[in-house]
Amino acid sequence: MTTTEAVPRTAGTATEISRVHSLRQVLQVQSFQILLVLLVIFLVFSALAPEVFPTWGNVRQIIQNVSILGVLGIGMTFVIVTSGIDLSIGSNLVFSGVVAAKVMQAVGGSGWGTAIVGILVAVGCGLGWGLLNGVLIAKAKVPPLIVTLGTLGGALGLAQVITGGVDIREVPAILQDTIGYGNVPGTTLPTISLIAMVLILIFGTVLHRTRFGLYTFAVGSNEESARRVGVKVDRQLISIYALSGGLAGVAGILSLSQYGTTAIAGQSATNLNVIAAVVIGGTSLFGGVGTIFGTVVGLFIPAVLQNGFVIVGIQPFWQQVAVGAVLVVAVYVDQRRRAAAARGHSAKSDGKKKLFGRRSS
Amino acid sequence: MKLTPKVTLLAAGVLTATSLTACAGGSASGGSAAGAQPKLTFIQGVAGDEFYVSMQCGIDAAAKASGATVNTQGPAKFDPTLQKPIVDSVVASQPDAILIAPTDVAAMQAPLKAAAAAGIKVVLVDTTVQDPSFAASAIASDNKGGGLEAFKAIKNLSPSGGKVLVISTDPGVSTADARVAGFEEGAKADPSFEYLGVQYSHNDPAEAAKLVSAALAKDPDIVGVFAANTFAAEGTATGIRQAGKQNQVKIVGFDAGPAQVKQLKDGVVQALIAQEPASIGTQGVDQALKAIKGESTQKEIQTGFKQITADNISGDGAKYVYKSSC
Amino acid sequence: MTTIPVLEARGLTRSFGNVRALDGVDFDVHAGEVVALIGDNGAGKSTLVKALSGNLALDSGKILFAGGEVELGSPSQASSLGIETVYQDLALAPHLNAAQNMFLGREIPKPGFQGRLGFMDNKAMRAKSREAFDELGATVRSLSDPVGSMSGGQKQAIAIARAVAWAKGVIFLDEPTAALGVVQTRNVLETIRRVRDKGVGVVFISHSMPHVIDVADRVQVLRLGRRVATYEAKKTSVEELVGAMTGALDGAHS
Repeated sequence: MTTTEAVPRTAGTATEISRVHSLRQVLQVQSFQILLVLLVIFLVFSALAPEVFPTWGNVRQIIQNVSILGVLGIGMTFVIVTSGIDLSIGSNLVFSGVVAAKVMQAVGGSGWGTAIVGILVAVGCGLGWGLLNGVLIAKAKVPPLIVTLGTLGGALGLAQVITGGVDIREVPAILQDTIGYGNVPGTTLPTISLIAMVLILIFGTVLHRTRFGLYTFAVGSNEESARRVGVKVDRQLISIYALSGGLAGVAGILSLSQYGTTAIAGQSATNLNVIAAVVIGGTSLFGGVGTIFGTVVGLFIPAVLQNGFVIVGIQPFWQQVAVGAVLVVAVYVDQRRRAAAARGHSAKSDGKKKLFGRRSS
Repeated sequence: MKLTPKVTLLAAGVLTATSLTACAGGSASGGSAAGAQPKLTFIQGVAGDEFYVSMQCGIDAAAKASGATVNTQGPAKFDPTLQKPIVDSVVASQPDAILIAPTDVAAMQAPLKAAAAAGIKVVLVDTTVQDPSFAASAIASDNKGGGLEAFKAIKNLSPSGGKVLVISTDPGVSTADARVAGFEEGAKADPSFEYLGVQYSHNDPAEAAKLVSAALAKDPDIVGVFAANTFAAEGTATGIRQAGKQNQVKIVGFDAGPAQVKQLKDGVVQALIAQEPASIGTQGVDQALKAIKGESTQKEIQTGFKQITADNISGDGAKYVYKSSC
Repeated sequence: MTTIPVLEARGLTRSFGNVRALDGVDFDVHAGEVVALIGDNGAGKSTLVKALSGNLALDSGKILFAGGEVELGSPSQASSLGIETVYQDLALAPHLNAAQNMFLGREIPKPGFQGRLGFMDNKAMRAKSREAFDELGATVRSLSDPVGSMSGGQKQAIAIARAVAWAKGVIFLDEPTAALGVVQTRNVLETIRRVRDKGVGVVFISHSMPHVIDVADRVQVLRLGRRVATYEAKKTSVEELVGAMTGALDGAHS
């Protein structure tokens, strides 16, 4: 019979062998590469504006402004890992905010009781649109691009019908004061950022450590295979789009809290910005690969670029050029990595797995 | 020590944290000392809009004359969710004063109030917020008067009266709403005109074109349309041309960007009510510098408007055309 | 053979539009036996395998598992009976590693509350996967590399090991050696023998007559959707098999 290599074959040894990594291996992991890019950008701007840029006051507001996008990014990561897409998150956010604002207006009052009703309504609306997306994609087999393009229009249109196009600017003060602009008691960390971080941690764990997350990757990697071994693919897809929708609902109430208005005309580019962030962070549009950590880094890059450009005084249009360039480079790197993996460069993917990908330990 | 991922990350984190705190101690305490060059930042409502570019030209010229520096920033769309991060970044850069056209009366209230609380002087230009009491000054065109003037222009063009429509941008934008209100007042007071109401094009010319086409389908005998800003005017002209009704429907536009001036010269639009954005800008710098020096400021300033028609475009009216670059 | 077949098909029919893919086909395989299923292109081999693994609805006919009639409405129903299939495309998820692929759909949960939340016992799954690969002599160097980056032979080994690990009754292998080199082919054939020795019934489709005669116990020939011949592998020849496949020797039985 074929003999195996000299390494003793006891359980788990295979992973022990490759535990010590060279810097080179580490550098090949895309999530780490993108973190380095972020650090380089940060250091460059720190050098250009040392008294303003690297201060906690400045970094704090970057984190605060990225929080809502972070919540949306969670859902989008799950969706893109299954090689799907969700264009409806911006409209979903607006719709959920609108309905929540209307309900809170009707309920009256500005304390936590009203606020909680608003939160539940917003999440419920978000889940509703998400479920609609999921069912059409999984059961009716309509491509995700088309379905979410439809719900993008539908949700925004309904929001405009409900409000007559006029923003509702009545938001319970408690929401604005605590979540919108408040800090976590005893710190200077914005509450809205804490909420986003908690959600990121929870769903990051789900994606990278639980069966639900594993099935997400399986469906994205080879949907047919997953189906054949008994993974309930339809149910998985519906859940994922529902998750994305539900998180858009959460983002809706967060946005209401932060802006104090439904901002119906806003969020027009949010879906593409979030998709760009997820892709920059190393999640492949072709499915099967991705990390929540990468998405978070991917969100910070455009935000830090814009912040830096504003502080240094560069024309706003260059900011969009820069973000576009980073996005194209990120996809190019992803393509090269996929080609290399197909040719069998296991060292690269080994490093990737160990660091920020699915941990087998 | 082997450079394992954990170690590398830790090192990177320490590096970032050090650069963070090293400068935090010596962070700028408010603006520059008196006598140094005042730092102004101008935050446009939307970058690339000729109205705001003209304003920028006025601001740049006035600042240069007084020895102040100006940093101009603006969101890609007239959208508070895009403008707020810019405002926050600008506040972090600690200018002496901010001149800003807020994109939403409610959403920008808190960030700007916080800026004022941090010691930065805030001057509101063009649009305003719900409670502008924190601002050193609020400068805008007399938009209501401008709307009324637009109605008068329509009356000049169609003395016999008829149906009139307004295409505005978004409800809740203070400037546009005031113009619509002025026009509506004039139209309703005049029995020979029938006021068909206002439609919102969301600052999108394509949307304006669609709305006008639909309105013409519903009421083919409209005699006049008042387009409440640059993009609305562009789209309205397109919509009317698509319906082939250039001769029947008179358009009065608000704002005089190069595209609208071309339309005026081509006869597609019959009159333009131009604001004086450069003047707003100049006055804005004036008030900002006064506030920085601690002098008293004028809380509310209203600037005027000029009517540009085919008659005066080559003469007097030419200097009121908005610029697309300084 | 006097023992009851572990899996038997009687008179299965299935049409796709005007094409009769299965035209009253019979089939049987016993425990601890290797049956080669051969036939020319379009004879209905893959269709038959799909039907017997729960991936295809039938127009008529009976399927019997260990003598009892069953309805195989879904792959999981077939799996629960102990019927596993290795498809030509291997049905592996390329981004997942060998252990994850092995246990896909059947993960071992962490004990207690954590398990109910969905956390998996990765250590146990890796240990069991290592055992399964060793048993088959499969050389899988790393349990944490994505299988997409592995060679065809390794992937084949993983796919077969997965099927073998979960199969209690019958394994179907659809062209298992089609894309493999000489050494890898030898390994696969050896694996097939080992599986048979475990008492599982093995059915494999192949176009390679030499391999068929080498490793099979019996050979069943399909033509135009029906079984036209059954031979004992050691007593037949390549010419006879080819003849049965093409129809030159209709009706021969051994």
